[in-house]
Amino acid sequence: MSSALSTAIPETLRSGAIVQSYSAADGGDSRGKRLATMAAGGLLLAAGLRRRSLSGTVLAGGGGWLVARGVSGSDRPVRTLASAIRDRDGVGAGVPEGMPTVERSITVGAPADELSEYWHDPEQLTRIMGPFAEITGAGEDRLHWELETPRGPNLTWETEITADEPGESLRWESLEGTTIPHEGEVRFRSAAGDRGTVVTLRLQFDPPAGSLGAAAFQRLGIVPETVAKKALRRFKSLVETGEIPSLEHNPSARGSGDLL
Amino acid sequence: MRALCWHDVNDLRVRSVPDPEIVNPRDVVLRVTMTTPCGSDLHFIDGYLPTMREGDVIGHEFMGEVVETGRKVEDVSAGDRVVVPSFIGCGSCGYCRDDLWSLCDNTNPNAELQEPILGDTTAGIYGYTHAFGGYAGSHAEYVRVPHADENCFHVPDELEAEQALFASDAWATGYMGADFCDIRDGDTVAVWGCGGVGLMAQHSAALMGAERVIGIDRFPERLRAARNEAGSETIDYTAVDSVVDTLKEMTGGRGPDACIDAVGMEAHGTGIEYAYDRAKQSLRLHTDRGTALRQAIRACKKGGTLSILGVYGLLDKFPMGVVMNKGLTVRTAQQYGQRYVPELLEYAAEGDLDPSYLATHERSLEEGPAAYDMFKHKEDGCIRPVLTP
Repeated sequence: MSSALSTAIPETLRSGAIVQSYSAADGGDSRGKRLATMAAGGLLLAAGLRRRSLSGTVLAGGGGWLVARGVSGSDRPVRTLASAIRDRDGVGAGVPEGMPTVERSITVGAPADELSEYWHDPEQLTRIMGPFAEITGAGEDRLHWELETPRGPNLTWETEITADEPGESLRWESLEGTTIPHEGEVRFRSAAGDRGTVVTLRLQFDPPAGSLGAAAFQRLGIVPETVAKKALRRFKSLVETGEIPSLEHNPSARGSGDLL
Repeated sequence: MRALCWHDVNDLRVRSVPDPEIVNPRDVVLRVTMTTPCGSDLHFIDGYLPTMREGDVIGHEFMGEVVETGRKVEDVSAGDRVVVPSFIGCGSCGYCRDDLWSLCDNTNPNAELQEPILGDTTAGIYGYTHAFGGYAGSHAEYVRVPHADENCFHVPDELEAEQALFASDAWATGYMGADFCDIRDGDTVAVWGCGGVGLMAQHSAALMGAERVIGIDRFPERLRAARNEAGSETIDYTAVDSVVDTLKEMTGGRGPDACIDAVGMEAHGTGIEYAYDRAKQSLRLHTDRGTALRQAIRACKKGGTLSILGVYGLLDKFPMGVVMNKGLTVRTAQQYGQRYVPELLEYAAEGDLDPSYLATHERSLEEGPAAYDMFKHKEDGCIRPVLTP
């Protein structure tokens, strides 16, 4: 196994930089898109085959599919959860094309009325969002989000709580004119039996096609679905155990820490 | 500190790595006093389990002395001698509360690497691929143990290290496998594999009241250990035409009431099916050689229990029709160590079961690569080497 690949692939998986279309009906450079799709597919296919392992098989399969897609010139966007949700009656109705929306749930072993406060508190919210963004208070019902980027200035935006029903739901949205227009909602409902509370997180990002926001998202490999799933897992661990599992300072011959 | 690291497939090296530190308030850091290779380590050493990275510290079966405690640790103090199960439990989630510790929801920081394949996540484990948590392993001078109050078990003073060490994994896993069999009076239990886990499963089945226990392997010293230490009858599968027929004959034509697979994805066997599996696995057309598991399914009594402890990937030929038509009950899991360790230490202290015979060779950490080599190739009568960092 090539050691370069064996480290490169987990990085790819880790950053969640899985090829994903924003399903923007921009009708842009379809040849460019096809080539990009094929290139990404080819890369995954090659990496997958060279890995000769279980994950390799998965990668190769995904890669092969993307190559086929590029060759066939399918312009149909890769189906995102956003589009799946849009297709479903009732849920996400009225979400315009071009807005990646994800909705994910997790069951947390605590009563609903203990959960709302975590999403108000900038410190807890920063722990929940983990590597995605650092959140600080910005006045009543307002939060300041800051996302570190490898190069260039940090991305920042502010959100405001627009609806708050303790123990039931909380909604926030970004203020006008921010780089990453973003909307979020968290809902709580009792789980069956004594299983605690079902927590549903809906995140909607609106990087206008071609804008700085969209480019930044793609460059950073931010996939809203990954952000939502990780946030929910971290939230659950924080509520249930008071801490979040971590690989900070984790020793290896690569050094200290495997921060994801 | 020094640590035994995975460098590449079939390439382990002892390297200098940073010391672990307390990260979360319920962590402790242990000075590892004894740690042992597990047969399941061989699967990623041989390259069949993905998501290892160059430089990973390996090892998940260990005991040690507490040297540092996080501010919210209550039941464990510096200087305590403890044994630690390989899977990390939080003690708070629904799975831990149901005593299904290896299914813990809150200890795998890399859950997203597992979910696409498993459809869900397991608990984190030390030194056993990034998909299973990415935690640094125990083949090192020090190791960080999260949720210490749930995961550190005090070793009674009167026990030698070798009597407690295997409660960390081999014994807990074997004991769980026997527990899965719901053994009743007169039952016969057959166990594929006479390595650490298989021998502990045989021993445990006998403790739980099995009338007869039959161990299956091909290495004379392991079969001897099964007979002499665990009191089992044995089958050398290279010396019989058919393991299934032999088991049927030994059980009056019925088959064993319960069959335990303590072999897993790199099974050896004889005949055409083994050759086929081996060829396909070498070409990476599939991840598993399921020889032992398929034998267990065919041999098991109708309505019996199949208890699977061996580690598998995505085995692509599983005779579901046989399982279904024979009405077998399948029980399987990665070990629920925290559920069993206290009673195991009690057995050891009472003298009911002394697992120290598994430790056939004692080696230093620096000798780790050679110890793994000896363990993998079963040289010099090796059942388990133990490393003393």
